[in-house]
Amino acid sequence: MNAFLPPLVIDVRVREEGRRVFWMWLPVVLLWPLLFVLLALALLVAVVLDLALWLGGAPFHRVTAALLGSLRVLSAVRGTRVRVDSDTTYIRVNIY
Amino acid sequence: MSEDRKRILGMLAEGKITAEEAETLLDAVHSAAVSEPAPEPVSSDEWPEGPSATGATPRFLYVKVTGGADKVDVKIPLAVLRAGLKLTSLIPSQALDQINDSIGEHGMSIDLNNIKPEDIETLIESLREMEINVQSDSGEHVRVFCA
Repeated sequence: MNAFLPPLVIDVRVREEGRRVFWMWLPVVLLWPLLFVLLALALLVAVVLDLALWLGGAPFHRVTAALLGSLRVLSAVRGTRVRVDSDTTYIRVNIY
Repeated sequence: MSEDRKRILGMLAEGKITAEEAETLLDAVHSAAVSEPAPEPVSSDEWPEGPSATGATPRFLYVKVTGGADKVDVKIPLAVLRAGLKLTSLIPSQALDQINDSIGEHGMSIDLNNIKPEDIETLIESLREMEINVQSDSGEHVRVFCA
């Protein structure tokens, strides 16, 4: 089930010399309800589409699997870290 | 290369010890390393300096750029690769043929039809031994490895 857990928080920090730190903390978890509603609708459409394709004898009827696979890819980005340091700037991107 | 080995080879290069003494010391270091318990696998918040020597399945792909004006560290979970490859197996064969043709036009002969879901774990397992080192004339050093 953990494989289908979308990112919880995206943390972005950028600091440039002589400027204030730009810090963006995106609580993506707050968008989950919207995501779940959209996913439920998309799954419903995908299942109906797959069923129709299967009954019609189409060789490809994996729309539902593709949708779930896409969600799995989205979930897998949790743990991504990017650090860039230069003399005057630093950038941090963390996806939790 | 461990610090001990570097130190021994440095002493040999400086002529402080003979080749036989260096061999004895290297053997001793190797024996100590073998008898030591394997370190814990890399946790998600650590940034290793190189590929894991523990034999554990790698969890992250690391890209490190050093030596230039900017220092870049990127850590990407291998779960992205795993999930992406599984998604590849859902692509219809006609579409895969078109992708293969397109890749072939760019000089790469990769047949995506050969990537089977059951081979994904083997592929990721073998990434443990992968290490790409690129050293530019300007002194920039790019390393790609999994740990």
